[in-house]
Amino acid sequence: MIRLLAVMLGALVAMSTQAGGNAAKGKQKAAQVCVACHGADGNEPSARDQPLLAGQYYDYLVQALGDYKNGRRTNPIMKGFAAQLSKQDIEDVAAWFSSQANTSLHDQR
Amino acid sequence: MSQPILASLAATVFALGAQAAFAQDKAGAAVPHAGTENFHAQCIGCHGIPGYKTAYPQVYHVPKIAGQQPDYIVSALKAYKSGDRSHPSMRGIAASLDEEQMKKLADYYGRPAK
Repeated sequence: MIRLLAVMLGALVAMSTQAGGNAAKGKQKAAQVCVACHGADGNEPSARDQPLLAGQYYDYLVQALGDYKNGRRTNPIMKGFAAQLSKQDIEDVAAWFSSQANTSLHDQR
Repeated sequence: MSQPILASLAATVFALGAQAAFAQDKAGAAVPHAGTENFHAQCIGCHGIPGYKTAYPQVYHVPKIAGQQPDYIVSALKAYKSGDRSHPSMRGIAASLDEEQMKKLADYYGRPAK
């Protein structure tokens, strides 16, 4: 019982420190791959139908990029860019964009 | 009249009543997103709760949409409706929206484009 509790506690701790990405590395990768359309900090979309990324949830960004990469989410442009990113790259750029405080994105209107 | 038809009639009457009631704000001014009020509950039930996570099929935070670019919100809703995006709840909700309603919701939750 105690062992089970310890395992559950461990899982909980692992979940709360889930931001596995390295924001500094993500900044570098974003400057190569994402900057043209989303801006260096994810706050300057180059077109009106492109999303703001700055301040978005880390795990949502990881999910979205993974979905583009594996084809669960269909977008010809993003498929090409996501294909260039490894799993680690995805976590890194997600850590970078999600940590940007200068954003108009928020939870509630 | 059969039970389901009665129920759907009642729902329609209720929806129309709710629409009329919400089409004006407290001061009596017209609300810019009139006609989409009934959808707000569906949006904020997930997107209006800070830190809320999806339950199925994968678990992650539902994205922040407040302040997002309106045109992107429309394109996301269209992608759910067409099947280009696959989240079950969002597919169901987007399928019930026409483009005009998508635009109104997007303008409400998003921000004016720069």
